Amino acid sequence: MKQTVLIVIVAMMALSKTYAQGHGPLFGLQTPTLAEGGVDFNAVAMSLATEDDQSFMLRYIWSYGVTEDLQLNITTPTMINRLSDPPRTRGNSNMPANGDIEASVWYRFFSNAFGVGKRFESTAILSVSTPTEETRGGINVSNSIHGAISTGYASRTWYVWVGGGYQYYFEKDNDQLGDLPYASLVVGYRPNIFMGDYPKPDWRVFLESLAEFPGASMNEGQISPVDQRGKKVMIGPSFLGLYGAWGISFGALFPVYQDVVQGSQERYRLSMNISYWL
Amino acid sequence: MKKLGIIVVLSIFSFSTAMAQLVKVDQEVFGMDCAPCAYGLERGLKKMDGLQSVKVSLNDGKAYLKLAADNDLSLQKIQKEVKNNGFSARSAEVTLNGELVNDGNKWSVSVNGETFKVSLDTPDDILTKLKPGKVQLIGRVKDEEDDGLSNTWNIRITEVL
Repeated sequence: MKQTVLIVIVAMMALSKTYAQGHGPLFGLQTPTLAEGGVDFNAVAMSLATEDDQSFMLRYIWSYGVTEDLQLNITTPTMINRLSDPPRTRGNSNMPANGDIEASVWYRFFSNAFGVGKRFESTAILSVSTPTEETRGGINVSNSIHGAISTGYASRTWYVWVGGGYQYYFEKDNDQLGDLPYASLVVGYRPNIFMGDYPKPDWRVFLESLAEFPGASMNEGQISPVDQRGKKVMIGPSFLGLYGAWGISFGALFPVYQDVVQGSQERYRLSMNISYWL
Repeated sequence: MKKLGIIVVLSIFSFSTAMAQLVKVDQEVFGMDCAPCAYGLERGLKKMDGLQSVKVSLNDGKAYLKLAADNDLSLQKIQKEVKNNGFSARSAEVTLNGELVNDGNKWSVSVNGETFKVSLDTPDDILTKLKPGKVQLIGRVKDEEDDGLSNTWNIRITEVL
């Protein structure tokens, strides 16, 4: 508890000097991209609890809108407590859960605004990551690439996003982390009480779900004896509040199904994100 | 001499207010669903020269713009800014000062390098009263494809002021 409070305080301190983003779901894939020339900053506090230990991490994301459909992002972590054998996960699907530095390009390749506050859109994400630690769960960890596609519907009342992604780790010194296919589904709702017009605050609630299928890792040139994918489905709520240029979201995911082949079982994930659109 | 000065000042004033320009634009915006969306659009629009005030409504899905005297803003520029923010600019209700001309029984108004062609669905009682020359009018500008914006619009006049 003391550590959690510390993380929140540090995050707020970071925000007093810089600023942040976060527009849609907290854990699942989303679609919105920045305006042309737009810049935003996110500061995120994340925690992942397993049956043995709990990680704490602060993460910062800078984003820039090259056009209204093309966005560049870079994210860096500050690890407070690292798990010795962390689950292979994106954690937050828009950024690595582990201590990777990641640069990504988001391309919104389809957009159809068909009504007041209503639109369908689809976005593709391509990212490259480099780790900040030598090993992860005893496996030498290397650079990785990640790709994802997400499509969604947004209105003033309802939101739905569905997407899938894939992360691939390169081999390093005869070791290789297993790949990670994943998918997410998010449904959002804004109650009538929060239908006040801009510039009044705007709150939404999301039900987020995430399914991950981490592949077996290779250790010293040998694939794991149990060459099969883990399976994990996590569900949980998240809340997003928006006011002017500011956004805050927080939420948790809990496992509803786990068939873990390597590593320890997860208990929950927590995340809080503060955003500022410059 | 004093009277002459007043006449000159009034003449300049009346000339400036009668200049061809947009006076007010209520721009319909589709796809804008959140407070930061409205914030970003409002801020983007405010960066344009020639605006007196901007108000963005999420619930109406509109940006309400009052333009300053002697502005040289165009509807194309306004709609381009909406597009740059990731939204779709649809029809707009505009109040404008312009030069009304009749070319082969087709009316059009020129404003700051843009041409607003008067559409045939303008009510007959308004069409019959149109006269060439300076005019201030209110009308609904029809939606054009965001990717193919030009300086020519179709306008259904709703009121001649």
